[in-house]
Amino acid sequence: MTMRAHSSSWAAVVWVLAVLIPLAIPNPYYIHLVETIMIYSILLFGLDIVVGYTGQVSLGHAGLFGIGAYTAGVMFMKLSASVWFILPTSIAVTAVFGAILALPALRVSGPYLAMVTLAFGTIIQILINEMTFLTEGPLGIKIAKPVLWGEKLTEREFYWLVCVILGLALIFVHRVLRSHLGRAFEALKGSPIASDCMGVSVYRYKVYAFVVSAGLAGLAGSLYAYSEQYISPNTYNFELTVLFLLATIMGGRKTRSGAIIGATIIVMLPKLLDDIELFRWVASTAAVVIAVGAVIGLQKKFTTPKAVIIPVVGTLALAAFSYQLKNMTDWRLSIFGLMILFVVYYLQDGIVGFISKLGHLGEVESTSLRETDSVQASSDVAHPSTALGQNRNHAVSAVSATVPHSIILSAQSVLMQFGGLKAINDVNLVIKRGEIHGLIGPNGSGKSTMMNVLTGIYIPSAGQIEFNGQSVVGRSSSDIALSGIARTFQNVQLFGDMSVLQNVLVGLHHSFESPLWNVALHAPSYLKEEMQANARAHDLLEFVGLDALSNELAHNLPYGKQRLLEIARALALNPQLLLLDEPAAGLTAPDIKELIAYIRKIRDSGVTIILIEHHMDVVMGICDTVSVLDFGQKIAEGKPAEVQANEKVITAYLGGSSTTEKVQ
Amino acid sequence: MLKIHQLEAGYGKVHVLHSISLHVPKGQVVTLIGSNGAGKTTTMRAISGMIKPSAGEITLNGHPIHGKESNQIAKLGIAHSPEGRRVFATMSVTDNLILGAFPRLTGSRPKGDVSADLEKAMELFPRLKERRQQLAGTLSGGEQQMLAMARAVMLNPDVILLDEPSMGLAPILVEEVFKIIARLKQEGMTMLLVEQFAAAALNVADYGYVLENGRISVHGPAQQLKTDPAVIAAYLGGGGTSH
Repeated sequence: MTMRAHSSSWAAVVWVLAVLIPLAIPNPYYIHLVETIMIYSILLFGLDIVVGYTGQVSLGHAGLFGIGAYTAGVMFMKLSASVWFILPTSIAVTAVFGAILALPALRVSGPYLAMVTLAFGTIIQILINEMTFLTEGPLGIKIAKPVLWGEKLTEREFYWLVCVILGLALIFVHRVLRSHLGRAFEALKGSPIASDCMGVSVYRYKVYAFVVSAGLAGLAGSLYAYSEQYISPNTYNFELTVLFLLATIMGGRKTRSGAIIGATIIVMLPKLLDDIELFRWVASTAAVVIAVGAVIGLQKKFTTPKAVIIPVVGTLALAAFSYQLKNMTDWRLSIFGLMILFVVYYLQDGIVGFISKLGHLGEVESTSLRETDSVQASSDVAHPSTALGQNRNHAVSAVSATVPHSIILSAQSVLMQFGGLKAINDVNLVIKRGEIHGLIGPNGSGKSTMMNVLTGIYIPSAGQIEFNGQSVVGRSSSDIALSGIARTFQNVQLFGDMSVLQNVLVGLHHSFESPLWNVALHAPSYLKEEMQANARAHDLLEFVGLDALSNELAHNLPYGKQRLLEIARALALNPQLLLLDEPAAGLTAPDIKELIAYIRKIRDSGVTIILIEHHMDVVMGICDTVSVLDFGQKIAEGKPAEVQANEKVITAYLGGSSTTEKVQ
Repeated sequence: MLKIHQLEAGYGKVHVLHSISLHVPKGQVVTLIGSNGAGKTTTMRAISGMIKPSAGEITLNGHPIHGKESNQIAKLGIAHSPEGRRVFATMSVTDNLILGAFPRLTGSRPKGDVSADLEKAMELFPRLKERRQQLAGTLSGGEQQMLAMARAVMLNPDVILLDEPSMGLAPILVEEVFKIIARLKQEGMTMLLVEQFAAAALNVADYGYVLENGRISVHGPAQQLKTDPAVIAAYLGGGGTSH
């Protein structure tokens, strides 16, 4: 909380300073520069949603920026519309185009997506150029400053309008990204499969992210049109889109301050490189700062001579070179390119990321993980029963089994074919409500494939699957998840860059109903949802013994704890059926004991469980029924003892003697 | 052969290992057991250079290797069969194995005869021989584990680091993996084994270290550890209750 209060008070101070600039520096040139920085910042807030949060690449944002600008321009020219009408319309029109831009992102990613979005941007530019009946083509459109309450705004007043809108956009973006929507965006990047299986539809939230992002680009575009008072198609070109992307990368992803710093760089750097005196001054300052930083770093052993030699020599050389130069014009682009290369290579987390990393270095390296670990471990081992004390019962609040032993899930003659390979071949599976149903078999026998079929990741080639009497075949993973089937993954699929708490909160996404505007306004209904979800998430984490680690990043947890976190996240869905895929893999004997206690507890609260596991002590100890697969076919089914004595199972799976027996 | 002296390491802000010292003598199998998050995998990763230790020494045959890059450490003769197998999924079994020998061809150690070693590795793991042309990603979990181990053997290393070789395997395959470890030991291979099946690991090992919260709490000959009441209570108890 202190961090949050800290950063918002900083933001307020910077904002007030920005508001005061026109009073301190009356020169309209500088006012216009800062205005441009603020307008770009609004666009970069939006671009960061797509690039930083959902992890997509967009080279189409200059196109969206252009759509916003031209919507404003056309409205002004053809309809003489007021600013109150133009700004919302620009946002809406651009948001629609954002949804169109999102369509390719649903199919392709990485460099392919970059190319498709680049094509989108180019097409927009060409269309603006060619649709002369609407846009005046290459002639461009002239726009006057907006009229507010009967008065045409002066340069300075318009600047303040931009300040206010920037402030509002900042609050809007910040609140949205801190809400369940922001978590959904981040989850897409962390693991699309897990998002879908937590009921967060990848399809829906990718489009959502692009739409919000485009809306901001549209707002920025329309403000830009008013700011420049003249728009022409050439502005919204490839170079601008690359600059936007660079600003996001250089400033630092997933931070608002990064967007503002990035905008400042792309606006100021070309100006800086125009003036040789200024450039000399900045190059020398940079050289001194980096040299001093390197010396301090070496003294305190943050870094090695090898790591700092290139930046130190590089900046010194640049400073020396700046004094050799007679004029800048010939060298501008080369120096610009070099600086970009330098920043992208050395500051991969962007400038904000780099600074916050420096801040962390100063802190005492705490060992929160280890300390809590030992406390937790000792208490759990000593009192396995109290570790799951009474107060945690309510954490797993499943729908109580209304009709015990009724059939919750039935799969009939399921066939899953990959090319010529039948991964699952004519398997029938009936799961009774309230049971723990084991699914065992050799590696590659089709167990995990079965899980994927049940959760909609694969659509079976043939066969019927009914959950609570309704077919799940052909439904999307997120739909199936929301209907009450939760799962964990054999190869852990956590949202690694999100905190332990946030991972569980993604699982609780279904408990949020607040639309975008309620989130942005911090409506009481939304705040209540967020509070309840947080409390529930803490309960769930306490249930699996991870509450003390709730602020740790998920990928910093040791393997066994990651598996427990997956269980907590799955329980957040309030499932009726929980699919556990090798929960004990990588756990030692005492941890397995603990896990068994958790699984029993979950079952006792009314959740039906399907358990894939290779540890026979787990399977035989807690399963009510066990099914055995081999080469995609069911070779045995029954009570654990029956299955264990089955000849076929022994030959295919268990081996002559179970390993644990052999070694004791 | 492989010596670790007062090693400290961690990830970012999280400090995992606290002054770990251990010794893997030539021709022996040494096992590292401990609960989740104790730092077993972190120790392995620090040895093979995947994370940089913040303090301490790691020496191979008396030469310090800490702080070196992973590829250099592999060239010096340490093969790492990682947790979760990590085979090259889109390459054939044979190509995976030949790549295992790659550091030999570019390093200063004797290059040897790669094709002869390939045959030897296939002999050791007959299942891989059957599937030599198949893409590694299409192998079952057990076969991938064997491939990861065979790939480590292909380096002709001084030491093999085996991280959780039995994880996620069917009981019948767990048995097979331990048989192979025993066979490699017979052939004189030096190994450091991290394993959650502590009992099975102590059966095959000569010496064992118990890691607790990033510190070594107990160490001794494997036979002795197997009968240590504290070790039994914490790491061996609870297993094998099925019969």
